[in-house]
Amino acid sequence: MDRRTFVKASCLGSASLFLEGIDPKTFGDVTLPEPPPIQVVHGVRPEKSSLGMPGLFPGRVVEVSHSESIVRNRVSQPVIRGMIERGMKELTGEPSLRAAWAKFVEPSDIVGIKINPSGAPACCSSPEIVREIIDGVRSVGVPAGNIIIYDRYEYEIDVGSYPVLIPPGVRVVGIQDGLADSGYDPNVYCQATFFGEWENRSYMARIVSQGLTKIINVPTMKDHSASGVTGCLKNLGYGTFNNVARSHRSPFSFTDPLIGVMCSVEPLRSKAVLHIMDGMRQVWHGGPLTQVQEFIYQAGILYFGTDPVAMDTVELETIEQKRREQGVPSVWEHSPESITADAIEFYHNPHKNLFHRRPSHIASAGKLGLGVADLKRIDHGRIRLA
Amino acid sequence: MTPDRTSPENDWPGLLCDNARTGGQGIRPARAPDRVRWHIRTAGAVRSAPVLRGGVLYVTSMVGNLHAIDIEKGRQIWGFQASKPIHSTPSLSGNRVLFGSDSGKVYAVASDSGKAVWEAAAEAEVWTSPVIRDGTVFFGGADCRVYALDVDTGNKRWTQELGGRIYSTAYVSEQHLYLGCSDGKVYCLDVSSGKTVWATATGNGIDSSPALAGNTVLVGSEDFFFYALDATTGSVRWTYETGLGISSSPAVAEGVAVVGSKDGFLYALEIEGGKLRWKVRISDAVTAPPVIAAGLVCIQAGGTQAFDLATGNSAWRVGLGGAVQSAPVLTGDAIYVATNDGEVYALA
Repeated sequence: MDRRTFVKASCLGSASLFLEGIDPKTFGDVTLPEPPPIQVVHGVRPEKSSLGMPGLFPGRVVEVSHSESIVRNRVSQPVIRGMIERGMKELTGEPSLRAAWAKFVEPSDIVGIKINPSGAPACCSSPEIVREIIDGVRSVGVPAGNIIIYDRYEYEIDVGSYPVLIPPGVRVVGIQDGLADSGYDPNVYCQATFFGEWENRSYMARIVSQGLTKIINVPTMKDHSASGVTGCLKNLGYGTFNNVARSHRSPFSFTDPLIGVMCSVEPLRSKAVLHIMDGMRQVWHGGPLTQVQEFIYQAGILYFGTDPVAMDTVELETIEQKRREQGVPSVWEHSPESITADAIEFYHNPHKNLFHRRPSHIASAGKLGLGVADLKRIDHGRIRLA
Repeated sequence: MTPDRTSPENDWPGLLCDNARTGGQGIRPARAPDRVRWHIRTAGAVRSAPVLRGGVLYVTSMVGNLHAIDIEKGRQIWGFQASKPIHSTPSLSGNRVLFGSDSGKVYAVASDSGKAVWEAAAEAEVWTSPVIRDGTVFFGGADCRVYALDVDTGNKRWTQELGGRIYSTAYVSEQHLYLGCSDGKVYCLDVSSGKTVWATATGNGIDSSPALAGNTVLVGSEDFFFYALDATTGSVRWTYETGLGISSSPAVAEGVAVVGSKDGFLYALEIEGGKLRWKVRISDAVTAPPVIAAGLVCIQAGGTQAFDLATGNSAWRVGLGGAVQSAPVLTGDAIYVATNDGEVYALA
């Protein structure tokens, strides 16, 4: 297999990749710069499997909601348990929860659970959801010691208190801090120069390229100041590679196409087999780091799927709808008046943003074969439990 | 006149001041700093609190180093390299520095030379700070066990398995040991045997380290509540609800418990009945423990800040000292802080 690929910006041109029915040009008159070519050097791809993105169920998103799943900002463990059982069975069509999990993992796997702690404590992957995923993975026969909760920054994991809130034996790894299981693989990377930066490579986490055999992705639902939204794709791509903040420099962003390209890099693409999106809390402005509760909506929803593009497409529409309800600009807004360089103003004024966002990374990922970006072609099932 | 910085009065030998973890009930003066006397950079992030004895500051870091720093010169005297990251705040006992590491090992290192004296092993990481009392060192580990070792040899005296991981540093009294557990329970163990005297459930895991005030155990839980428990029976005397989980550990003084919450507020609660005396928003999330000195509450959140203990009014703030779980060391003429970025400052 040729491990080296050049992704031409011309074939990912943003103008041709907008989501169906939405023309980004509608939202302002700023001409966004064309992204540069991105050179990709893949790692070793696991044996050919149907589990890699877009996985077993392309274009399918199962939404499960429960009005008592989050009450006064507390996530209910028993309610989450029921929601995950229903969602997993609905997604897979299996009659038992164990059989549903067995579609994705087997006893010999080393399973990574990719959390998103970057908005902790206000909005991060709920430990209650992570606990149920651990239970599900263990029900198939994976030992606790072969389950690893991970993200880039250990201090964010600590702020979320994940080590305290997960079962004994399960490991917690901050890729970028400390010594154990940490660090990046110098042989797997994406290379591009966006703003003349001297370090123009982003390396894949070693734990992903060499350690894990399966990844279960647990993103949150947030608007994002550079990419529009952070969901499955951004949590995986920007949480797996280092040196990613260089893709956006005010007011411009090259998160499209970098996010999708990163998710297409092997072995990340093949190992990410399931996505459970945490919509207990939804950030409709100020993401990904905001702690301002005014812009965090306690929606009490979970999304299940194997197709990260379809899930992010649904997420984007949900965040957009919330922003419309609140009377604030679309995440596609590209007018010069919408931009501020003042972080305080950004965090407290939903009419302002730091970058001209590029949510078109979702459609770009679709073009790379990672899933379905057309809402009309997405099988979006909704289950309301209470 | 040059102050004697090696005076025993300046010693700060364990997490929140002393080896019995009196919860920051210090009476050391802490005036507003106006300059950085010195600054040193460790090789990695610091997630623990520094401790001080005899003019030497001891700091652990996430690349596995224990640094001994001369507080007169702001220079490293020696360094000790462990094999894994260190989250544990060191404790000082005699001429030894004790700390846990992510390898599961607990080290006793000679404080004058930096040479290992003994090491003992738990079966998973030890983030808690070892607590020494009457010749025994106590600590909990992520292997769900509490260990009691001979402080001279590291030989095991007893172990006790609890229902979850332990990240809460124990408070050790003459007869009992109090600590929180990730199974959501606050435990009281017998010091001599490790047997459980009582266990009281909260609604989620416990990261916070308890303090004891009179006969009341005070501790926060990730269930958003702060608990006051009867130290003899474990019965709940009162609770106070904050806006998010509590991983900060309380400091107690003058009838008040002060604790931070992830909701960004610092709370002062009356120990007698749980009445809120004041609360003040100080950061996006408060996870570090406060310390109390001479009528001031000092904490590393949004920089290093001090508040009037009686009113909660801001006394001073410096922009240095961002931390997840570190706490300042307060002495008469300087404040020592270690930061998440691996910086150590002497503020004067």
